[in-house]
Amino acid sequence: MFETLLDDAAQNNAFRHIHPGTKILLGLGSLVICLVSPTPVVPVLSGLILSMVLLVPARIPARIYGELLLAPVVFSVFSIVVLLFMLGGGDVVWEFSPVPWIHLTITTNAIHQSVLILSRVFGCMVSLFFIALTIPMTDLFNVMKRCRVPVELIDLMMIMYRYIFIFYDQAKEIWQAQKMRLGYQRPKESIHSFSMLCGMLFISSWIAGEDIVRAMDCRCYNGIMPSLDPMEPVRMQSFIPVVLYLSGLGGILVAITTGIVVFS
Amino acid sequence: MKVILEARDVSYHYPGDREAIRGISFHVKKGEKVALVGPNGAGKSTLLQMFNGMIRPGKGTILFDNEPIRYDASSLRQLRKRVGYVMQNADRQIIAPTVYQDVAFGPANLGYDEKAIHEAVALALRQVGMAGFERRPPHHLSGGEKKKVAIAGVLAMDPDILVFDEPTSGLDPSGSEDLMELLEELNHEGKTIFISTHDVELAYPWADRVILLLDGEILEENVPAVAFGDPELVRKAHLSVPILLELSQELGRRGFAQPEQKPRSVLDMIHILENLLQHKTCCHPSPGTISVFNVDEGDLSSVSVWMQARPGICIGAMGTRAKMCAAKENLTLAFTYGVIDKCILRALRGQDSLILTTNAMAARVGARVEAYCKESGTTICVIPLMSDSDTGSRE
Repeated sequence: MFETLLDDAAQNNAFRHIHPGTKILLGLGSLVICLVSPTPVVPVLSGLILSMVLLVPARIPARIYGELLLAPVVFSVFSIVVLLFMLGGGDVVWEFSPVPWIHLTITTNAIHQSVLILSRVFGCMVSLFFIALTIPMTDLFNVMKRCRVPVELIDLMMIMYRYIFIFYDQAKEIWQAQKMRLGYQRPKESIHSFSMLCGMLFISSWIAGEDIVRAMDCRCYNGIMPSLDPMEPVRMQSFIPVVLYLSGLGGILVAITTGIVVFS
Repeated sequence: MKVILEARDVSYHYPGDREAIRGISFHVKKGEKVALVGPNGAGKSTLLQMFNGMIRPGKGTILFDNEPIRYDASSLRQLRKRVGYVMQNADRQIIAPTVYQDVAFGPANLGYDEKAIHEAVALALRQVGMAGFERRPPHHLSGGEKKKVAIAGVLAMDPDILVFDEPTSGLDPSGSEDLMELLEELNHEGKTIFISTHDVELAYPWADRVILLLDGEILEENVPAVAFGDPELVRKAHLSVPILLELSQELGRRGFAQPEQKPRSVLDMIHILENLLQHKTCCHPSPGTISVFNVDEGDLSSVSVWMQARPGICIGAMGTRAKMCAAKENLTLAFTYGVIDKCILRALRGQDSLILTTNAMAARVGARVEAYCKESGTTICVIPLMSDSDTGSRE
């Protein structure tokens, strides 16, 4: 479900025609800044701004974005609860002994650390979502080619990308056919149905593999997979705001760490 | 006409299986439209795959351009460039993640340079009416669009003969009609076209010649009216008689029409009925006109004034480019396939129509109308529209 959702969003967003390099610069740049930031302010700021950028000018549907964010948020909140008790240092804020031989404590340092980690996770996830939601895979292949990733690897990735959707549809069809004939009703039978689905999928991928070779042969295959170069050049009206944004974010980071601005 | 493809006593059997093809001989002439018709499992796909060397016959030879096919890698590549093969399942044929990359696959592997690849892709996409879809991934396309991309991928290599395995399978009725119209258009641009199908209603009006295949053998090879006209043969081949043919046969049996009249379209049928009911002619006393506008010669927007002056006019488009031009001008097209016949039918009812056409198809309108008028003794005016004059017509 999510892979088609992500692909749809990446193909149809309003930033589709901005040069992928510009978008990667923004995504990776804010990712690095969020990672190195010693204060939670910068990642939270970056996360909020990029979220707004994704929702408003890039026109990513809020529902899709919310669903996407939900998974890492749930996961990191649970981890943070554990971290709160695991980390130490500083004054004890709260103590709890469910049984006489276990003492759980939360300290001020643990709170600081946990908040920082939570904010970093948030900032970094949003940066990655920015890349995933605004750059279609096909454009990423071009960027990889520019970055001298071996052509063989890119060709393989392109074929895999093409076939993900075909196999996904096939798996869905098999699953529906099983459901319609009352598959997956009992736990033991579910395992049986699922193994059957995997077997069928293996056979159909095998046949599809043979078909690709035939299809390529039919069209004079000689070892070349053509590439599609980015249509849009790097445009200053998108590149300059990205540079300004990143230097602003970097500036705030430097100001906070060197103590020019003090957040209590 | 020159023979482009020939099979001489060809046989084939799959390993450990009974014979799929049993001693078949036939030939295809340059510029012909041939339909290979037979039930499932008759060996149609096997035979088609022999044409581009994907399957090597066990016995016999396949000749392309009067030369026996050679099966070394470089000869096969040469052959496959000239014999374009469009698979039944477009999803299996499209291998690249974007439309552009897929269409460019053939030209790139033939060693064209970047500029030539770009030109070949642009031309092929224009021919099938898919320009502007370059960056779209195939899984975002509809069935009909995928089929067109698959055809463009083959057209980009500029083959002499196009071989289609079940071209209309999986398409909706209007998609099928559109596709057959595209095949017609490609044929007019000089391509020889060979299709396999079991849809007799589509093959009957379209094909120049039909080969009925059953159990790996040729049952009949003839013009469609004869091949499909013999109920015994048709029953044997698990097919059905085309409805127009059945109707005329039934009329013939009742003594209403001459049995040698074989209607291939509704227009032909109307003509037969007209002759039957000579006293009550179904023809309008003053037939309507058919105006023709060639979108390759002028700008369609320049005739908008002409069209506004004739609000009741029906517009039909022949050829992919004509249909695209109409879409650009937001014109509602009443007909997109079988256009000339439908416009003649309208003219017979006393109504006017406009046909948008392309260079390749332009001459066909006049020829078809003239042929009809000669046969039926009526006169229908075909008026070529010029883009530069706003009155827009000359006789």
